[in-house]
Amino acid sequence: MLLEIKQLTIEFHDHLVPETVVKNVTMSMEEGEIVGIVGESGSGKSMTALSVAGLLPRKDMKKKGEIWFEGQELLSLPRKELRLLQGDEIGMIFQEPMTALNPTMKIGKQVEESLYLHRDLSRTERRELALSWLEKVELNDSERVYESYPHELSGGMRQRVMIAAAMVAGPKLLIADEPTTALDVTVQAQIIQLLKKINEKNNTAILFISHDLSLVKDLCDRVYVMKDGEVVEHGKSEDVFYHPMEDYTKQLIAAIPVIDLEQD
Amino acid sequence: MKKYKNFNFIMGVILTGLVVLIAIIGCFYTPYDPDAMDAVAKNSGISMDHWMGCDNFGRDIFSRIMEGIRNTFLISLFTVAIGTIVGVLIGAVTGYFGGWLDEILMRINDALFAFPSVLLALVVISLLGTGMFRVTLALGIAFIPSFARIVRSEIKKQVTQDYVESAKLMGAGNFRIIFVHILPNILPVLLSSIMIGFNNAVLAEAGLSYLGIGVQPPDASLGRMLSEAQSFLFSMPWYALFPGTVIVIMVLGFALMAEGITQAQMK
Ligand SMILES: Nc1ncnc2c1ncn2[C@@H]1O[C@H](COP(=O)(O)OP(=O)(O)OP(=O)(O)O)[C@@H](O)[C@H]1O
Ligand SMILES: [Mg+2]
Repeated sequence: MLLEIKQLTIEFHDHLVPETVVKNVTMSMEEGEIVGIVGESGSGKSMTALSVAGLLPRKDMKKKGEIWFEGQELLSLPRKELRLLQGDEIGMIFQEPMTALNPTMKIGKQVEESLYLHRDLSRTERRELALSWLEKVELNDSERVYESYPHELSGGMRQRVMIAAAMVAGPKLLIADEPTTALDVTVQAQIIQLLKKINEKNNTAILFISHDLSLVKDLCDRVYVMKDGEVVEHGKSEDVFYHPMEDYTKQLIAAIPVIDLEQD
Repeated sequence: MKKYKNFNFIMGVILTGLVVLIAIIGCFYTPYDPDAMDAVAKNSGISMDHWMGCDNFGRDIFSRIMEGIRNTFLISLFTVAIGTIVGVLIGAVTGYFGGWLDEILMRINDALFAFPSVLLALVVISLLGTGMFRVTLALGIAFIPSFARIVRSEIKKQVTQDYVESAKLMGAGNFRIIFVHILPNILPVLLSSIMIGFNNAVLAEAGLSYLGIGVQPPDASLGRMLSEAQSFLFSMPWYALFPGTVIVIMVLGFALMAEGITQAQMK
């Protein structure tokens, strides 16, 4: 087992009444598996993902339960040791490729950051690895991309850069929090294909978060359906998609926009 | 620097460059010894021998201006350096971490900020004494609060940005996040504050020296010269005019650069 979340509960204490945003969530992932989390907006998908990535703000917040990753319990791990995993064993990409990149840093340097932090490599070795990953995420003219700044790239290109930056140190787990929501449909499909390819070639497990169950069905082996901070249904993604048990899941499926590409 | 190609910035660079050039030449060569008194030339006006005339001791005003620019420039430079370096450290730490350290440091900062810099410098000078080195130190300390404040609020704005989360996610430490990831993003704001700070330093030095508690005779500084010139405003107006004009050019140069940087940011 690569990742095991046991009875994860997250409470906010920044208001008078504590607010539970994640309730008793239990999930697991095998090495090299692609697992999806779906649910409507505010159902706690990002909170779950961020706590695995060790990114949850620590103040005003109570976390209960356990998150086991490769024999280590992440919630009780000191920040210093957590940092050794971040970027090295666990990579993450966000919804907004526009803002997730540093506007004043060259793309190349940003892709190399994990290598700089976790590997003892020379400058040229880092550069070569970064360039090879820029090619692997299908950015042609990688030398030019390496030298450019984020504002010179399109949204789709930036998301590819983010993937390269997350993958460059060879993490065992890639968390993708709605990585295609901000992109148009064609680019969205390309990114999904790319994630699939990365999973096959590198055996990287992917935790894929989306509110679109049809995307999850295409990409993921298994899926967890979340509602109001709880897991309400889980199983093989095709089973859940074609034979949903819960009304909530049926509603999610009904809400998928039908795009008829042949119409025009 | 390529992106700052606008009229204001270029004019600012030219004016400042001119002043710096004169200061640098002044380190190696002045037409006369700036402190040498010549009884014959006392109070003499503009002439071929003395381009800007001589003061009431018969010292060559042009030579003294060359020395004065150098002193004023160095004082301002180190004042701003002290203010920037300490201010950035305090502002970065408080802005990034927040919490009780932020509260305490910022309350102290607010208390200091409530005093005008010159007044604060006066207090420090009364403790340390006068002279170029002490004046620089006093002004530098007086400049820390405003820099700390600007840097803090800029860092606070950046901390919530996604790219900071990305850096954390890759396992970068706080120190690296502040100085490698965030700082370049506040550089334009910092740069224009430095320019404006430099101007305030020039004026503050002039003010202190004018009051007689800054640079001490026989050292020349632009403010010192203005102060000495005021008794002769009607008998020899050029005595005040030249150092005054140089101060204006210096201040204008930096103000234009600051304006140019702000303008480039707007685009
Ligand atoms: N600082 C906070 N204080 C209190 N509640 C918060 C805070 N931040 C987030 N929440 C709440 O946590 C809940 C879960 O949020 P989360 O971001 O995990 O949802 P999500 O499933 O990712 O939604 P989306 O699809 O919109 O991204 C939401 O109801 C949100 O209002
Ligand atoms: Mg979310």
